[in-house]
Amino acid sequence: MTSMTKRIFHSICLVALTVFLASLVLIMGVLYEYFSNVEQAQLKMQTILAAQGVTNEGIEYFHDLNVKNYRISWIDAEGNVIFDSASDTAEMENHLEREEVREALSSGYGESRRYSATLMERFFYTAQRLDDGTILRLSISQNSILTLLLGMAQPICIVFAIALVLSVVLAVQISKKIVKPLNGIDLDHPLSNEGYDELSPFLRRIDSQQKQLWGQKAELLQKENELNTIIGSMNEGMILLNQKGKIISINPAAAKLLDAGTDCIGSDMLSLCRNLKLQEILAKALHGEQGENIIRLHEESYQINADPIISENVVKGAALFFFNVTEKEKAEQIRREFTANVSHELKTPLHSISGYAELLKNDMVRDDDKIPFAGKIYDEAGRMIRLVEDIISLSHLDEGADDMQRENIDLYTLADKAVQSLEPYANAVCVTLELSGVPSVLNGIPQLLYSVVYNLCDNAIKYNHENGKVIVNIQNENNAVALSVQDTGIGIAPGHQERIFERFYRVDKSHSKAVGGTGLGLSIVKHAAKIHNAKVEVKSLVGKGTTVIVTFPK
Amino acid sequence: MRLKFDEQLDLLNKELITMGAFCENAIAMSAKALTEGNPALAKAVPDLSVEISHKEREIETMCLKLLLQRQPVARDLRVVSSALKMVTDMARIGDQSADIAEIITLANIRATDDTQIIYDMSVAVIKMVTDSIDAFVKKDMQMAKAVIDYDDVVDSFFDKVKKMLTRLFSKPETDGEYAIDLLMIAKYFERIGDHAVNIAKWVLFSLTGNKGG
Repeated sequence: MTSMTKRIFHSICLVALTVFLASLVLIMGVLYEYFSNVEQAQLKMQTILAAQGVTNEGIEYFHDLNVKNYRISWIDAEGNVIFDSASDTAEMENHLEREEVREALSSGYGESRRYSATLMERFFYTAQRLDDGTILRLSISQNSILTLLLGMAQPICIVFAIALVLSVVLAVQISKKIVKPLNGIDLDHPLSNEGYDELSPFLRRIDSQQKQLWGQKAELLQKENELNTIIGSMNEGMILLNQKGKIISINPAAAKLLDAGTDCIGSDMLSLCRNLKLQEILAKALHGEQGENIIRLHEESYQINADPIISENVVKGAALFFFNVTEKEKAEQIRREFTANVSHELKTPLHSISGYAELLKNDMVRDDDKIPFAGKIYDEAGRMIRLVEDIISLSHLDEGADDMQRENIDLYTLADKAVQSLEPYANAVCVTLELSGVPSVLNGIPQLLYSVVYNLCDNAIKYNHENGKVIVNIQNENNAVALSVQDTGIGIAPGHQERIFERFYRVDKSHSKAVGGTGLGLSIVKHAAKIHNAKVEVKSLVGKGTTVIVTFPK
Repeated sequence: MRLKFDEQLDLLNKELITMGAFCENAIAMSAKALTEGNPALAKAVPDLSVEISHKEREIETMCLKLLLQRQPVARDLRVVSSALKMVTDMARIGDQSADIAEIITLANIRATDDTQIIYDMSVAVIKMVTDSIDAFVKKDMQMAKAVIDYDDVVDSFFDKVKKMLTRLFSKPETDGEYAIDLLMIAKYFERIGDHAVNIAKWVLFSLTGNKGG
């Protein structure tokens, strides 16, 4: 890269000097011609003067003659040199053939410019024919003109020097001035520049490319931000590793899970987690095989997926994902228990039914017993029907009960209905059932609300002491309706309180058959409450009784 | 040249952590078998112990090679030499875990109130082993010092076990063999704690050139 200023400077200097030299040469040429002509005219004058002198004085003229600048020769009509101021006449050849001599012989005067063979120099010659036919010739060396010119060398040099300095100074100034707009271009805002028109295509191009770049940069930044936000706000831990198992990136969830600082990037995965199962699947992933396993971290279960990152058939690294499966495992556990419970609960009445039916079939029953047997079969079948109905309504609730109609209803009326239908049962087990409170209208699904009240009261009666009491109270508060069912029953130990809403969960497993029920009542309450966004609260003291409060938002 | 050396040191570091993870696993498996009274869990420990011994040889060879070929100086020398010493302690932890497992598989150890204190002791020892390896991984001096101090806790647990066993012996119905087995297990745990202290000291040495305490 050469500097533009330098280049312009050099060019200007070169041009200036070339012009200067060229004009010098031309001027010299013109001057030379001019001086030659002047010299020749002078020579002619001298010749005429000398010719008069020779005509008047003859040979004597030469004796007094003092020639310095020029050479004088006298030639007779035959061409023999009679006198010469520069050479010895005897050695000189015939001069008749010389151009100027011939010319003078024919026309009386002649002149020429040529080399003198005698003196080996360029000369001007002029010749004059005298009256007696002889010829007088004068010649002068051209060197004298050159000498004249050489005399000018010193001033020329001075002029040259001045010109040089001047051109350098000017060139510096001019080149700076030319380049100045270029140096001052504001490339951030290319179109705002006022410079050379020749630059505008470049500037326009730069402008469009800049805009393109900015656009791409913004797009990239946005994409990066999006990705970072997604990865950063992910609940699942994610770690990217290179092919050597070093961490390239780790999201906040994974960092928190593995208790890692920001300095862990670039370190080995082993330094974060020494779990052998994890190392095993990671090693597998780095060999190109997908792997997964469940490990325990901080008392919770995490499923870890290790996926190889393959590009162009080469494993470039691995991605580790951590999913918290504690809840899932718990749910799985509950589901398994539920299935086992359902089969068990269904099997028990079926066995009774099948047993009684078998006895009847084989006619092994006394006639008196036939009615009670049929009654037992009927009871058990009824139990099964209730169970299946409960399961159906539960599974219906599981799906969200979307198809059920919501309407504004009075919870008090509903509770009254439920209490009335349970009254005979309560009387049978000697439990008093009371309803208090105010009419409270709320928006909800009547069937579900009814089953909430019914199941709660049913439980309150079922797990009560003899001569116990059940108080159902409905309060209309500012933005909620509170249903509370209080009993004086056996109570629930704190350890069980959390689990009573699980399906088929029984506090006292051995007596479930005795107290009856399907074991699904509270589960239905929980789901129905959930659909109404209601909060269920259990307060209980063993031996003293239980209060269940369901708060429905209006 | 240096790059290759760094790579080798990195590999050494990785192998040490893996070996530490094996040790953690071995002792955790033994402790679990003991507390759950399930000898089947302890069956895999001797195999793991053999694997730990293999790792020990492997790392020793690696260290010797590094010493001979690279002739490390200053910090590098400390790292390699402390690794050489650390694997010995780790291997002993593996061996002793296997010994505990052997006692559990041979004797009829039941999960009773007697084993509760040994369970507490094993938790403390596992914490020591884990922390000593963590100190190595994180190059954490404070943690290493904490491990060294924590040995007192394990020692006091051992004293409690001894007292508990003395009481046990004084009862006529005590099965002597059972009590002795418990004592052996407690002693092995106590020894494992000492090895964890050694590891922590070597970590300090590799970091500062001073074994501390």
